[in-house]
Amino acid sequence: MIFLSTRRFDFFGYGILLFLIFFIVLPVLTVFLWAFAEQWFYPAVLPTKWGFRFWSLVLARPDVWSAFVTSIELSLTVTALSAVICLPAAYAFARMDFPGKSVFMMSFLMANAFPRFALIISIAVLFLSLDLVGTFTGVVIIQLLNTLLLMIWLPTAAFRAVSREMEEAARDVGASAWQVFRYVTLPQAFPTIAAALLMTFVWTFYETEGAWLVGAPRIRTMPLLMMQMINNQLVVQYGAVLSVMLWVPSLAAILMARRIIGGDTFAKGLGG
Amino acid sequence: MSATAMSLRNGWRGLAFIAIPVMAITIFLFYPAALSIIGTLVHPKDGGGYTFSLQSYVFFFTDGYSLANLARTLWTTVVTLILLIAVTLPIALYMRFTKGPLATVIQALALFPMFVPGIIICYALIRYMGPNGWLQSLLSLVGFHHYASPHLTPWGPVIGLMWDGMPLTLLILISGLSNISNASIEAARDVGAGRLRILVSIITPEITHSLLIVSALNFLGIFGQALMPFMLGPTNPEMMGPFMLRTFSSVRDPLQASTQATITFLICSLAGVAYVRSIARRPQEDRK
Repeated sequence: MIFLSTRRFDFFGYGILLFLIFFIVLPVLTVFLWAFAEQWFYPAVLPTKWGFRFWSLVLARPDVWSAFVTSIELSLTVTALSAVICLPAAYAFARMDFPGKSVFMMSFLMANAFPRFALIISIAVLFLSLDLVGTFTGVVIIQLLNTLLLMIWLPTAAFRAVSREMEEAARDVGASAWQVFRYVTLPQAFPTIAAALLMTFVWTFYETEGAWLVGAPRIRTMPLLMMQMINNQLVVQYGAVLSVMLWVPSLAAILMARRIIGGDTFAKGLGG
Repeated sequence: MSATAMSLRNGWRGLAFIAIPVMAITIFLFYPAALSIIGTLVHPKDGGGYTFSLQSYVFFFTDGYSLANLARTLWTTVVTLILLIAVTLPIALYMRFTKGPLATVIQALALFPMFVPGIIICYALIRYMGPNGWLQSLLSLVGFHHYASPHLTPWGPVIGLMWDGMPLTLLILISGLSNISNASIEAARDVGAGRLRILVSIITPEITHSLLIVSALNFLGIFGQALMPFMLGPTNPEMMGPFMLRTFSSVRDPLQASTQATITFLICSLAGVAYVRSIARRPQEDRK
């Protein structure tokens, strides 16, 4: 504590904590309270009746299941495609020299330099003329674009982190290029790549804007169903139950991924 | 095989490995963007051929509703950006210069929004800060009865977008602050520099780059958002995101939607150019 707090009681720190509780913790807690509330009338501070009734109601809805299946199919397809086209590129960026390397790397970062939704609109206008609006393929393409940056730059960092000395040592004792990749490079880079795959899957599952513009109304994903349930507000609990049910497993997945990747990689990747 | 031939072969292989993703962003990102910009200027003529026309822009800039939406978007972007930095910078400074359990808790909480998908944030904020929401219940419990909900007012999207932008802003600022050595601050203290002086003379110059990146990325992120303004904001005027969405999906006017997108591109290109320039200028060793 050399710069900010030399006082005995850390007012500044507790001030931040209080702000974060009101700004971040309480809104999230609200969702959990609503998910287990059978009855909650204003101005009661806590639900007037607790229970699981809405969980079985949500699980009995066919639209929930069909949206769930659509979302899982989309996320699996997009993640698999993204891995197939991005991992070789990541390896090339990390280990090969070719003309225009930094220009190409920049072109991926440049995708960040566009306002996202305006891009989605221009893609949707093109898809309109290609008859891709309202199709599974259209949504796959728009969500795939969303994942390219992450799927290239995290694995690139992973391949770069593999020690060159170890690869060269393996070559010296007679391993072929493929064997080096298979038995030296890949095992070391694998945890980060797995984390990137996991994050891509979860992000795609929750991608809303692209699916909304290109997919709706024929392709209905889970976030779109949730949006509809929130806007109609017939039964407040539906949105809450869905949020808790889907988000808790994905939170566990992302926390696991983040443990491997670390915050600094994100910041550095975006130019921080 | 000679060394040049080998590196040439390696070069071709490298290019082949990156060809598909490069083609994907060219075909599905840069091409549609260029196409929709050109499409707003050049229209097919009835008897074949093309004419050049600025008509859709004339419509946009003479239409009161469109202009009000643009103004609302700019207002939201600037206000959110200022508030975001005003809130995040102190937290980042605290996290950089303090160790201990409280700092760990603060870090975990402040980065938490990163793990909450946008649609769930929207739902949480509506139930929390909306009319008759939990915040209002809690406030009336302590005797405060004049709560005016920001939900569906211009402040609704500001709060949602701050929620959304906080973790990344924090990560980039902390990454920038980590370049400052403790030694330089201690040295300044030794010669009698006060806290403000240290902040202005030592810390600020070191994080200018991070502040620039944060501002540019958030400007793009806020300006180009549709979900939060749609769920949390008012409808008249509305932000460009929901406006483009409505023009495309409900009004079914792709030309006008492209025009709105092009205007959004142009305004955001300022932030985009600033972003690309500052990452291009980064020292090479940082780029790992």
